[in-house]
Amino acid sequence: MIVASLAILCVFAPSTVVGTMMEAAKMGVSMCIEFIGIYAVWMGIMQVLDDCKLSHKLSKILSRPVQYIFGKTDEETEKNICLNIASNIIGIGSAATPYGIKAMQGLDKGDKRATRAMIMLVVINSTGIQLLPTTVIGMRAIAGSVSPSCILWPTIVSTFLPTILGVLLVALIYKKGKRNG
Amino acid sequence: MADLFIPILIALILLYALIKGVDAYTAFVNGAKGALPLMASLMPFIIAMFVAVELFRNSGLSAYLCNLLAPVFRVIGIPPEICELTLIRPFSSNAAYVLLRDVFARYGVDSYIGKCASVIMGSSDTIFYVSSIYFSCTNVKKTLLTIPIALICNVACAIIACFCCRFI
Repeated sequence: MIVASLAILCVFAPSTVVGTMMEAAKMGVSMCIEFIGIYAVWMGIMQVLDDCKLSHKLSKILSRPVQYIFGKTDEETEKNICLNIASNIIGIGSAATPYGIKAMQGLDKGDKRATRAMIMLVVINSTGIQLLPTTVIGMRAIAGSVSPSCILWPTIVSTFLPTILGVLLVALIYKKGKRNG
Repeated sequence: MADLFIPILIALILLYALIKGVDAYTAFVNGAKGALPLMASLMPFIIAMFVAVELFRNSGLSAYLCNLLAPVFRVIGIPPEICELTLIRPFSSNAAYVLLRDVFARYGVDSYIGKCASVIMGSSDTIFYVSSIYFSCTNVKKTLLTIPIALICNVACAIIACFCCRFI
């Protein structure tokens, strides 16, 4: 795509190429600086939550639904799945990934084909179950929105409904018990 | 109402920390410390994405693709203006942030389009990145229907997002 874009630009407007690239890089730097601020504030708040062990509490609440959705897994894996989902919901994405990877390894039985539980975990993670769209709210505030967080409830609705849809789809397509779907 | 939610939430978190005896200030500083290294590691990718997105747009390729797809988007209720953002979201968060910022500048943060873009950005994730990271640590070679299911959810997410935005 980039090569195609470059080729088109070289044919029609070669003089603009370098200018465009430099202008873009400049905007990139300014966005990075904005993001340092946004991340610093939210990561600070998330760290407070983390120190309060909130994700561990949440993961306890989640353990029953997780058992139901994922079927039988060993205890360690189940704990990792719960912590992964809990961290995602609270919005500590950087904490969620290591738990998710551990859970995937726990689910891995050495098969070449993905198992139902693995697909479930990846689908849940890729539909983004974050409760607070922290970065977006920060960006809206910087862009001068009169109400940066007015997008809160639509975001929550449109993050959870597709997640439920995903779980249902996986559950319907890959029936419980059959290991390889 | 929504404006109150986050300040109250932050106050509650601090109160909770106080009750639990957690030193909120130290925790905050420790967390915030991570922002600069994180951003330093992300910066090359963000700049690369910025350059790529701008080239892609200036060449007119992106407009051509979006014109092609606009009727489809209109039918499912997604404004054609955020077609680019919706398409790029599953591939790269950084590129999507670039486009989101552009949508804010072009159509306004508080416009219907700006809100739709925000919600889509906040409620979906980079499917291809997540699945490649998660599967890369296992022996799995065949991911079966993981990507198609995630993509269906992604489309559903965009439709629900644009629908909900009509009410705010």
